[in-house]
Amino acid sequence: MNIFDGQSYFSFDALSLFFLFVIFVISLPSAVYSFGYLKGEYSSAKIKLSWVLLALFILSMALVVTVSDALIFLVAWEIMSLVSYFLVVFDTTQEKSVQAGTIYIVMTHIGTAFLIAGFLLMHKYAHGFGFAAIKNASALMPAAVRNITFLLLLIGFGTKAGIVPLHIWLPYAHPQAPSHISSIMSGVMIKTAIYGIIRFVIYILGVDSFWWAALILILAVISCLVGVIYALMEHDLKRLLAYHSVENIGIILLGVGLAMLFLAAQMPFLAVFSLIAGLYHLVNHAIFKGLLFLCAGSVYKATHTRDIEKLGGLIKKMPQTSVYFLFGAMAISALPPLNGFVSEWLTLQAFFLGAFSFSGGAKLLLGICAAMLALTSGLAAACFVKAFGITFLAQPRSRHAEEAKEVPLSMKAGMFFLSALTVIFGLASVPIVKLLSKVSGAATGISVSGMRFSLNNFILSPQIAKSNCLSAFWLGAILIALGTTGFIVYYSLRRKRPVIYQTWDCGYYKINARNEYTATAFSKPFRIAFSFFLLPYRKTQKIRESFYHVKSFAYETHTTPVFKKYIYDPVLALVFKSAKSMRRIQPGSIHLYLAYIFATVLLLIIFMHKF
Amino acid sequence: MQTLILFLILVSTYLMVIAKRMPALIRSFRYQSFFLFWITLGAAFAGGHAELYFVSALILTLKVFLIPSFLNRLAGKIKVDENLGLFINAQLSLIFALALTYCSWVFSQTLNFTPGSFQGTAVTVSFSVIFIGAFLMIFRMKAFTQVLGLLVMENGIFLFASSVYGGMPFFVEIVVFFDVFTSVIIMGLFVYRINKLFTHIDVNKLSRLKG
Repeated sequence: MNIFDGQSYFSFDALSLFFLFVIFVISLPSAVYSFGYLKGEYSSAKIKLSWVLLALFILSMALVVTVSDALIFLVAWEIMSLVSYFLVVFDTTQEKSVQAGTIYIVMTHIGTAFLIAGFLLMHKYAHGFGFAAIKNASALMPAAVRNITFLLLLIGFGTKAGIVPLHIWLPYAHPQAPSHISSIMSGVMIKTAIYGIIRFVIYILGVDSFWWAALILILAVISCLVGVIYALMEHDLKRLLAYHSVENIGIILLGVGLAMLFLAAQMPFLAVFSLIAGLYHLVNHAIFKGLLFLCAGSVYKATHTRDIEKLGGLIKKMPQTSVYFLFGAMAISALPPLNGFVSEWLTLQAFFLGAFSFSGGAKLLLGICAAMLALTSGLAAACFVKAFGITFLAQPRSRHAEEAKEVPLSMKAGMFFLSALTVIFGLASVPIVKLLSKVSGAATGISVSGMRFSLNNFILSPQIAKSNCLSAFWLGAILIALGTTGFIVYYSLRRKRPVIYQTWDCGYYKINARNEYTATAFSKPFRIAFSFFLLPYRKTQKIRESFYHVKSFAYETHTTPVFKKYIYDPVLALVFKSAKSMRRIQPGSIHLYLAYIFATVLLLIIFMHKF
Repeated sequence: MQTLILFLILVSTYLMVIAKRMPALIRSFRYQSFFLFWITLGAAFAGGHAELYFVSALILTLKVFLIPSFLNRLAGKIKVDENLGLFINAQLSLIFALALTYCSWVFSQTLNFTPGSFQGTAVTVSFSVIFIGAFLMIFRMKAFTQVLGLLVMENGIFLFASSVYGGMPFFVEIVVFFDVFTSVIIMGLFVYRINKLFTHIDVNKLSRLKG
C-alpha cells in the first residue's frame, strides 16, 4: 500500500462529522480550563509539554474518526493510546500514576492486538484495508468468519470503551491524569471505541444475527449496573466519575445494541431511532462527564484532595463551581429538563417500542434491560446526591476544605460553557434529534427522509399514534414556573427575621464536623442491598481501659474487588508462572544456547521438504 | 581423485571428534585445511581460473600454517591442562558424528543432484563438516574448541561453495578469509583474557555469571 498515491484516505460522512463535533466541543473548554488548572501545579517546561501532548491527543482522536482505511485507523488508534498513556503518567512524581499507566497501557495493547487480528481477518477477504473494499467483501465472508471478526472487534473496542469486565483500567487511569485530560479521556476518548463499533460492526460488517445484538445488550446492562454500584462505593471523587463512565458507556451501548437488534430484525425505523438515542446519550455523556471532571479538577485544585470524606462545605467557598457541579450531577442523574433526561427517555422509549414489536425471548430481554436501565438511573441519582451532598454541603471536614478558594476565570469559563451545553442539549432536543437522524441514517445505510420523530419543533414523539411524547422545552418551562411559584410562596410566607441557633443535637454538646454524615454511611444501605456482589467485609478494633470503658474504637469497611480478585489476579498469576517455567530453558550456558541453534538448523534441514 | 580427498576431509573431521587434547585437535584441523587446499587446487586446475589459484594459496598460508601455529602458541601460553573437557566421550561422539553424516546424506538426496556424482558427495561431506563443527562447539567445555568449531564450520561452508557452485565471488572470498583471520585473533585474545581472569577457560562455568 502506498500512502502517497493520491487516493483519499479520509472520509467525512455524517458519522465522522458527528464524532469530530463531539471531540472538539469537549476539547475546547478543557483546553481553556487547563490554562488556569496547570498554572502553579507544574513547572513551565512541563506545562509546555502538556500542551504538545494535548494537541497530539486531540489530533489523533480526530484522525481516528475521519480516516477511511483500516491500517491508518490502527496507526491513529495507537498514537491516541500512547499519547493518552503519557498523559496518564504526566504526574511522574506519584507512584500511583505510574502504576495506573502500566495497567492502562497493558490493557489497551491487549485490545489493540484483538483489533489487529480482526482487521487482518477482514483484509483476507477484502484484499485491502480501505473501508469501502472491506464493506463490499463483508457480504462474501462465511458466517463463522463474520462471527469471529465481530467478537475480535468487540473485545478490541470493548477494552477501550471500558465494557465490564474489560473496564479494569478505567477507574485507575482516568483519575490519575490531570483533570482536563480526564475530562477528555472520559468524555471523548472512550467514545472513539463506540465509533469503532458503529463503524466496523454496523456500517461495514452489517448486522444479520440476533445474538450479536443480544450479547452487546447483555454486556451493556452489566456495565451499567456494575459501574453505578462501584461508583456508589467510591469516595475518591474522580474515581467515582470514572465508574460512572463505565455506567454511561453501558447506556450508550444499550442504544447501539438495540439498533443492531432492530437491524437484524429488519425494522429500519426503530433501528434509526435506537441509534439516535445511543448517539444522543453519547454526546450528552461527553458534555456532562467532561463538565463533572472539570469540576472535580477545580475541587482538587482548591483543596488538593480527591477524597470526599475530607471535603464538605465547599458551596460557601466555591459557589460557582458548586453550581456547575450541580448542573452536571442533575444531567447525569437524568433529571429534567437537562440533557441526560432526554437521551435516557429516548433509550427507554426505544426499549418499550421494541418490546411491543417483538414476542417471546426478545420481549423478555428488552423488558429486563429497560428495568435495569431504570434501576441504573435511580442509583446514579443516589450516587450524585452523595457526591454533591458530601462534597459541597454541611461543614468542612478538614483543613483543606476550610482553606478552599474559588478557582480562576479560565477554569470557570470552561465549566460554564459545558454547563450551558447541558441546558441547551436538553431544551433543543427536537432539532438535535433531527440532525442525529441523518447521522444514524448514514451509519445504518437507511434512508431517513420519510421518518419523523417529532410533532412540531418542540415535542419529541417517536410514535405519534400512541401519543407518547416529550417536550423537554415545555417541561423545562413548567418546572421553572413551578419553581418560581414555590419560591414566591416561600418568600411571602417566611419568617421575617432569621433565627440563628445551634442544630439540635440530642443532648450532646460540642458537635463538630466529625459528627457529620459521611459518604461511607450514606452508601451503607446500598452496600447491604448489593452485598451478594460487593462482598463487603469489615475490621473493628476496640481498645478498652476496662470492661465498661472503651477508650478507642476503629472501624474499617471494604468491598471485595470481584473482577480483580476472580478474573485478573488468576490470569496474572498464570502469566507469571508460565514465564517462570519458560525461564528454565535459559540457564546461562553457552553450550546449551549453541545446542538450541544447532537443533533448530537440524530440524529445519530434516523437515525442509515438508514446508 | 577428488572424491578421495573429500573422503580424507571427512576422516580428518572424525579425528577431531575423537580428539581429547588440544594439540591433537589443532593437528587434525591442519590436515583438514590441507585437504581443502588440495581440493581447491584441483578445481583451479580443472577450471583454469586464476583466482582459484590465489584462493588456494591463501588457504595454505592462513589455514594450514598461520592459524594453527597461532592456536598452538596460544595453547602453550595458557598452560592449563590440555584436555578439552568432553561432555560426551569420544566413542559416543563418533556415533553422533556418523549420525550427522547420515543426516546430511539424506539432506543431499533431497537436492536434485545425479546420484553418485561428485557434487552430491561434496554436499554430504561439506554439510557433515558444518554439523560436526557445531557439534564440537556444543559438546566440548573449553572456550578453545568454540574457536576451532567455528573454523571447522567455515571450512565446511567454503567446501560447499567451492565444490558445488565453483566458489564464491573472488572479493567475497578474500573478505571471508580476512574475517576468519581477525576473528581467530580476537577470539584468541578473549580466550587468553578469560584464562587470566578466571584461571580457566571452561565455558561451562561461565553460567555462574548469569544474573
